[in-house]
Amino acid sequence: MKIGVYFCNCGTNIADRIDGGKVREYLEPSGRMSYFKTCPFLCSEDGKVFLEQDLKDEKPDRIVIAACSPREHEATFMRVMGQAGMNPYLMQMVNIREQIAWVTEDPEKAVKKTSVAINAALKRVELHEMLEKQELEVSPAVLVIGAGPAGLKAALTLAEAGRRVTLVEKSPVIGGLPVLFEELFPNMECGPCMLEPVMAEILHGEHAENIELLTMAELTEVAGYFGNFEVKIRQRPRYVDIHQCIGCGECFEPCPVSGTNPFNNDMDEKKAIGFTFMGALPNAPYLDPTLCTRFTEGSDCSACSAACPMGEGVIVFDDQEQIIERQVGSIILATGSTLYDCSRFDNLGYGRLPDVKTALEFERILASNGPTAGEVVTSTGEQPGSVAFIHCVGSLDDDHKPYCSGICCQYAFKYNHLLESKLTDTKILHLYKEIVSPGKEEYALHRAARDNHNATFIRYDRISDLAVTGENDGQKIRLPDGNSINADMVVLCPAVVPTADTEKLGAMLDVSLDRFGFFEELHGRMDSARSKIRGVYLSGACQAPADIQKATSQGMAASGFILSELVEGRKIELDPLFASVYPEKCAGCKVCMRVCPYRAIHFDEENSVSVVNGVLCHGCGTCVAACPMGAIKANHFTNEMILAEIEGALK
Amino acid sequence: MSATCLLNNTPDADIVAEFEPRIIGFLCNWCSYAGADKAGSSQTPYPPNVSIIKVMCTGRIDPQFVMKAFNEGADGVIVLACHPGDCHYKEGNLRAAQRHAMLIRVLEQMGIEGKRCRFDYVSAGEGEKYVQVITEMVATVKQLGKLSLID
Ligand SMILES: Cc1cc2nc3c(=O)[nH]c(=O)nc-3n(C[C@H](O)[C@H](O)[C@H](O)COP(=O)(O)OP(=O)(O)OC[C@H]3O[C@@H](n4cnc5c(N)ncnc54)[C@H](O)[C@@H]3O)c2cc1C
Ligand code: FES
Repeated sequence: MKIGVYFCNCGTNIADRIDGGKVREYLEPSGRMSYFKTCPFLCSEDGKVFLEQDLKDEKPDRIVIAACSPREHEATFMRVMGQAGMNPYLMQMVNIREQIAWVTEDPEKAVKKTSVAINAALKRVELHEMLEKQELEVSPAVLVIGAGPAGLKAALTLAEAGRRVTLVEKSPVIGGLPVLFEELFPNMECGPCMLEPVMAEILHGEHAENIELLTMAELTEVAGYFGNFEVKIRQRPRYVDIHQCIGCGECFEPCPVSGTNPFNNDMDEKKAIGFTFMGALPNAPYLDPTLCTRFTEGSDCSACSAACPMGEGVIVFDDQEQIIERQVGSIILATGSTLYDCSRFDNLGYGRLPDVKTALEFERILASNGPTAGEVVTSTGEQPGSVAFIHCVGSLDDDHKPYCSGICCQYAFKYNHLLESKLTDTKILHLYKEIVSPGKEEYALHRAARDNHNATFIRYDRISDLAVTGENDGQKIRLPDGNSINADMVVLCPAVVPTADTEKLGAMLDVSLDRFGFFEELHGRMDSARSKIRGVYLSGACQAPADIQKATSQGMAASGFILSELVEGRKIELDPLFASVYPEKCAGCKVCMRVCPYRAIHFDEENSVSVVNGVLCHGCGTCVAACPMGAIKANHFTNEMILAEIEGALK
Repeated sequence: MSATCLLNNTPDADIVAEFEPRIIGFLCNWCSYAGADKAGSSQTPYPPNVSIIKVMCTGRIDPQFVMKAFNEGADGVIVLACHPGDCHYKEGNLRAAQRHAMLIRVLEQMGIEGKRCRFDYVSAGEGEKYVQVITEMVATVKQLGKLSLID
């Protein structure tokens, strides 16, 4: 076998410390290398031209390149090899700059260490195999789960780029949490108005035909992998034909039954048929079968249908659940977050005292389409003379959630601003552990709250230092210093936490959860919109507490990844560094399936052997080391190669 | 793997001073190998006794690699992984740590001191830690002396 060694001097970087001539002398007696060539700068244009030509002339079977770190130029040299017609995997790089020349004082020792390292590479490279990048056909279509700000922006961005998007939303409305908010920090913009143009684009815009919106729908099954997912979506019946309904609302009035409205946190009632709130999109009501007497009692009431100006058939009493199957290349998770359960804090009285509210409930009280039509009133219908905001409920708390939820201070200051203008005399109390309001716009609301002469700020250390009790005329809050203060209304700002669906979806898609239960990103700084599973992306508050800006940016980031990774008409290239099972050696013990972090291994029941999916495999080699039968091979990192390298380093 | 046991390995002080141990270092591609490169960029010298074998992840390290190293004449083996939680492949480093704990017991039964096989974590930014860990390891193995195995 003809093996060539290329020794790069890297100017003086390597040559100053390591004498290539001596290395050559040291290696020659072994007879393993066919030639040894030195080059001043192998990565320079001249160097690459030299290497390409030399590979064409010498036609070696394998080469060893002793130069800088492979992290620097392995890809460069592999490209040159490809241009010279040589399979790029038939090379082993030896890092003699970072790991020898720069760190070894004694030139003799540096020569020896270099020679040993090249010898190890020579023994290893003999065993290298030609590997090819495989190509795979992919579906450019995308599934987006969740139609909050993150999912909407993602769907729109992709649709604008010509992608088919299936947008799956669990509730009957789109817009996520912010459609429920009257105004938004930091600029006090109206929530529904801000979202309206985006939602209109989704529903009727220029690229709407690329978006298939499925409301009242959830993902139930996933098979396949990056580029080729087969998904099943279950859509609950709406009992209203969304395409025929004009959203006039004539059907609500005659409906004889009503129940509490979950979209107003059960603070008011809605009819069995109705909108979640006025202005909800898509502009069509839904019928709640847990209220409608046709379903609860088997009645033949058809008051709503009779009132429909569009005639019969718009309200579809026999509407059925549907299972919708789609093929997509990638999936974006944008399912948002929820709030920590405040009834866990017995001392705060939530759930017992009617005027202790969560921030979400307070948002609805502030909203003009909410239960009080935007009037801030207590449970007895009076304007509160004092409102206390308890920040950090469950956040910054090792017994609950150790992290800062990031958004709570800001919406508390938003409330401060809204109260100041709605109820000019109302006293406001902020009880907080820490105040957090970074950002170029965000400080303004904080500043305004500080400047509000009706507002008082009191810091507390632990939530147990506070106690809210009911009084005849409101609530009494015991403060950390032992004093008490009265508040007609108490608003809790709870920790932002993962939704109940996160775990289920994580398990379905094999996307890992972080230690707090949010979907775990591939990398916290560099890749927060990617999960650790190829082809599954993360956007918005399902990945970590987020404000709308972060949520929408991540939605677009995820779209960006998809547009660059899954290009219409372009096949995806598979890095050949994956594992594969020798079926004849496999005993079927399934240890590999248990250790694989990517669920890349499945069991072929017919032949009782494990099979690795090369697309899903990331090439870590954990299964290879775990297999008791030695039945798994890691391409380019086979046992034989590594053992030969060890031998070469010691002999 | 052949049954091996240790011969007397406490050489006198003179030999210790001259003895240059041979150590195999298994480094993962993502953190510890990058950490070694970082040490290089800062050009802090450290003893040249460790031959680096790169694997994609420490989870790839088969105990037979360590045995092979000792059988071929290594005086020590060092495995450097990404810190817990930082493994590029989620949890390969934790598997490696588990395997290492088991392997140490086997080595000790064979008469190879546990200290000859070290497991540690080095991140891509921890060039200084890399230098420190390697320097310590070389000193430890020098102290222990040459490893002699008989079949
Ligand atoms: C009280 C409060 C006030 C706030 N005020 C502001 C503010 O003023 N300004 C600001 O910038 N931010 C504010 N925020 C933060 C803001 O709400 C979030 O940044 C934003 O909602 C995150 O968007 P998202 O798309 O990630 O999630 P969401 O808005 O939560 O949307 C997620 C969507 O996914 C759907 N979904 C969930 N599970 C599934 C499933 N399994 N299948 C299908 N669909 C599913 C949900 O129904 C929802 O429509 C506030 C938050 C709170 C709690
Ligand atoms: S990648 Fe470094 S230990 Fe797994």
